Amino acid sequence: MEVLQYIVRKLIAGIPLVLGVTLISFVLIVYFGPDKTYELLGKNPTAEEIAEIRSQLGYDQPFTTRYLDYLREVIRLEFGNSESTDEKVSSILARTIPTSLALAIPGFILGNLLGVMLALVAAYFRGYWIDKFIMGFAAVGMSISFLIAIIGFQILLSSSDGLDLLPVRGWDTSTPLQYIRYVTVPTLATVFVALGYNTRFYRAVIVEEMTRDHVRTARAFGVPPAQLFYRNILKNSMIPIVTRIMFSIPVIVISGSLLLESYFGIPGVGKVTYDAIVTGDQPILKAVVVLTAVLFVVAQLLADICYRIVDPRVSLK
Amino acid sequence: MSARADTVGAHGDSLWSKAFRKFRHDRVGMWSLAVVLAYAIVALGVVLGVWATDWAEVSGPKWSPASVEYWFGTNIIGQDIFARSLYSTRTAFEVGLLVALGATALGALLGAIAGFFSGTWIDELIIWVMGVLDSVPFILLVAAIAYTLQGSPWAMHIAMISTFWIGTARLIRGEVIKLKSLEYVEAAQAIGVNRLMIIFRHILPNTFHILLVQATLSFVAAIKSEVILSFLGLGVKDGMSWGLMISESTFEVLAGFFNNFLAASVLMFGLVMAFNMFSDALQDALDPRTVK
Amino acid sequence: MAAGTNKPLLSVRDLVVEFETDQGVLRAVDGVSFDIHAGETLGLVGESGCGKTVTGLSILGLVPSPPGRIVSGRILLEGSDLAGMDEVGLRKIRGSKVSMIFQEPMTALNPVFRIGNQMRDVLQRHQGLTRLQAHSAAIEILAKVGIPEPAVRVEDYPHQLSGGMRQRVMIAMALSCGPKLLVADEPTTALDVTTQAQVLEQIVRLQQEFGMAMLLVTHDLGVVAETCRHAVVMYCGRIVESSSIDELFARPRHPYTTGLLASIPRATEERGDELPVIPGMVPDLLHLPRGCAFADRCPKAHERCRQSVPHLDLLQSTRTSVACYEPNA
Ligand SMILES: Nc1ncnc2c1ncn2[C@@H]1O[C@H](COP(=O)(O)OP(=O)(O)OP(=O)(O)O)[C@@H](O)[C@H]1O
Ligand SMILES: [Mg+2]
Repeated sequence: MEVLQYIVRKLIAGIPLVLGVTLISFVLIVYFGPDKTYELLGKNPTAEEIAEIRSQLGYDQPFTTRYLDYLREVIRLEFGNSESTDEKVSSILARTIPTSLALAIPGFILGNLLGVMLALVAAYFRGYWIDKFIMGFAAVGMSISFLIAIIGFQILLSSSDGLDLLPVRGWDTSTPLQYIRYVTVPTLATVFVALGYNTRFYRAVIVEEMTRDHVRTARAFGVPPAQLFYRNILKNSMIPIVTRIMFSIPVIVISGSLLLESYFGIPGVGKVTYDAIVTGDQPILKAVVVLTAVLFVVAQLLADICYRIVDPRVSLK
Repeated sequence: MSARADTVGAHGDSLWSKAFRKFRHDRVGMWSLAVVLAYAIVALGVVLGVWATDWAEVSGPKWSPASVEYWFGTNIIGQDIFARSLYSTRTAFEVGLLVALGATALGALLGAIAGFFSGTWIDELIIWVMGVLDSVPFILLVAAIAYTLQGSPWAMHIAMISTFWIGTARLIRGEVIKLKSLEYVEAAQAIGVNRLMIIFRHILPNTFHILLVQATLSFVAAIKSEVILSFLGLGVKDGMSWGLMISESTFEVLAGFFNNFLAASVLMFGLVMAFNMFSDALQDALDPRTVK
Repeated sequence: MAAGTNKPLLSVRDLVVEFETDQGVLRAVDGVSFDIHAGETLGLVGESGCGKTVTGLSILGLVPSPPGRIVSGRILLEGSDLAGMDEVGLRKIRGSKVSMIFQEPMTALNPVFRIGNQMRDVLQRHQGLTRLQAHSAAIEILAKVGIPEPAVRVEDYPHQLSGGMRQRVMIAMALSCGPKLLVADEPTTALDVTTQAQVLEQIVRLQQEFGMAMLLVTHDLGVVAETCRHAVVMYCGRIVESSSIDELFARPRHPYTTGLLASIPRATEERGDELPVIPGMVPDLLHLPRGCAFADRCPKAHERCRQSVPHLDLLQSTRTSVACYEPNA
């Protein structure tokens, strides 16, 4: 009951954020966005025809009326049909989000898991050469552009100048093997780049926790290293870790894969979004923006609930 | 009050002189600074028209390999890749510097205002704006701003500034909340010194070390974003950049010609890596915990 | 209490501990030696930063490394050298034969586990108790250190307890396996005055009940006077005076000890930090003077004091050792 109340309160607190995002997306995408009048008209339109179309599109209405109309669409989750394919926006999203997840999840999990592991080794041996080596590797990962990593792995694994093992581009999930063949290059590029940032982040968190007083106390009572790591260090660093993971969810669901998907021609939300940007497909853009904002609110909520689970000092108030 | 302000000022000075001394002893930091400066000289030379003036000319055969005449070879239509790389360095600095300055200044200003008025509606408003901008996907924001500005070449810069300031603002806000409770600020308030004066004369100067580090981080982020945005056709419109070079090279790479790709990637990697290391060394030097 | 000719429980010899810092190598403990006999309490006093905590940590092999390192010396516990022992060996001793309680009760316990859980963990590891046995043992010992309703408190998280209560939990944990030696690092410094007295009294009572030896680290000579028979005074990483309490208070031999005694607050005065203090500043451990580290603050210092470091020597016909060329008579 208390939890339910809390969730409702949190969701209500998220309303201003979503409103703000709708306002921005309205102003930038719709109000100042591309003028659709002439796309809908034949050749040599008369002044009346122009005026009629403009009024159909609502261009003759004042700002507030148009914004409120837009809000109404958002609340009913009716974003209409794509202007280029005429497919319903909701069905486009339902079709593409799973693809984006299938593409992003392996890289996300590996990037974080390996990041924690490398960070742990670096933190444990901090100051020694192995720490310096790992952090040097992380610095390289951080300094390489994602785009360059993508092209680099593609050359290495998919081109006739490299090993020529995997498909150059495209997407196929018909069998697990095909899935692995197509997901490998994007995943390697993601992991290579994400590992740089993740390792640095997790090392900082772990080192901070390692130098806490209670770690020294535990050692003074003979706690062995594995238990020390789990009970004193990992358990206590869960808050920054959970925060990082939760807040990357909206990004990996929606826009994180935009570059990957448009580069490899993978039919996920990122590709749809990119195409919508290029063609000025407003219904899709509006839906994506609002969906991202809602996901952020949900991520915040999930993060707060996780804090409560991992840290007894946090209360749901 | 002024005595107190002076002691804080003196503390600030010693922070800087100690940081400077510490930085001078940081070998990696000094080397990375030297590399960054070398890139800066290249960029300056382009601005002054000393070199790379012929970057747009079609001067040679298609895809000629590296030679004495064309150090990095030529691209698909016979343009000199070396000249184009140098010109792109200029672009990188232009984007990096403009965005770093813009985002840091905006972040300092809004962060300081939010922190100074913490607990009031002004603070709430700024926090709300930060949250909203944070939840709009970056690439969509760039595209939307590009629409709004009708394809202005500055759309990318503006989009980056309008998101990159947020990180700086959050840090400065926290710092200002801390500084605000210091005696000398309270004393200045008590004798009715203008609020903006307090922010600009007494508070912001004491956050300068944070701003410096944040500016280096924004610089790197801007260069990296430029490459991806230009590749997607949302970035640099006229001129030449590493992103555009890589974009050109994707066809060449599949045909087995790597010069364009390698030139842009290696040069970009060098600058970003050096800047990252410089930024690290700067943070180390300015960390009050290690400055003893 | 059985001080005498028999072998000491703990015998620290010429302990040297260094820290590698950005500014150079810092010698936090420099040639420290002392003995503690079974059941006896030794006071270790000195100003902040003189190396008391580092000395205590060395005994359990807990000097943070890097940057710290035991450079030389021996730490003999019942004849085996802890300074040269590997981690696995030390782990068996920590919390069972030797326990330590720390200066800062607010942060010394793991915030994400219930105190009962943390206490059980120690008991299960060292005593081989089952979960259930450990649970009742934990409650029993919590009651001993004066925690009301121990069966309820045992389910609390550290943040639900006051500083004094947390320190009592630490003490309970430290005593739970019946150690032979307790290293108590300023166990009451962070507590308020009334709690300080209670907790101190508790420690002394339990120490006698358990018959264990104690190294009581403090910068408060008043505490030493109440609890110890013998004390050593440290300054800048070195022992400057080692003496019985009666001697120390009646006839302080080292000028630094004299200064420390002068700065004890009288019972009648309000407790405050700015009592008559020793003039001058503690020198920077990175830039110690060539001679006696106290010379610059010492009213009796002369040329020789600035040239070479005085050794800790036994004064004739007493049981007091002092490291001074001009000890008080
Ligand atoms: N982790 C560390 N790194 C570097 N130097 C250290 C470290 N720990 C302790 N030191 C140095 O060792 C010296 C002795 O420190 P120690 O903590 O033993 O002092 P103390 O006598 O316990 O002081 P206090 O009364 O403040 O607790 C100090 O000068 C300190 O600077
Ligand atoms: Mg101490």
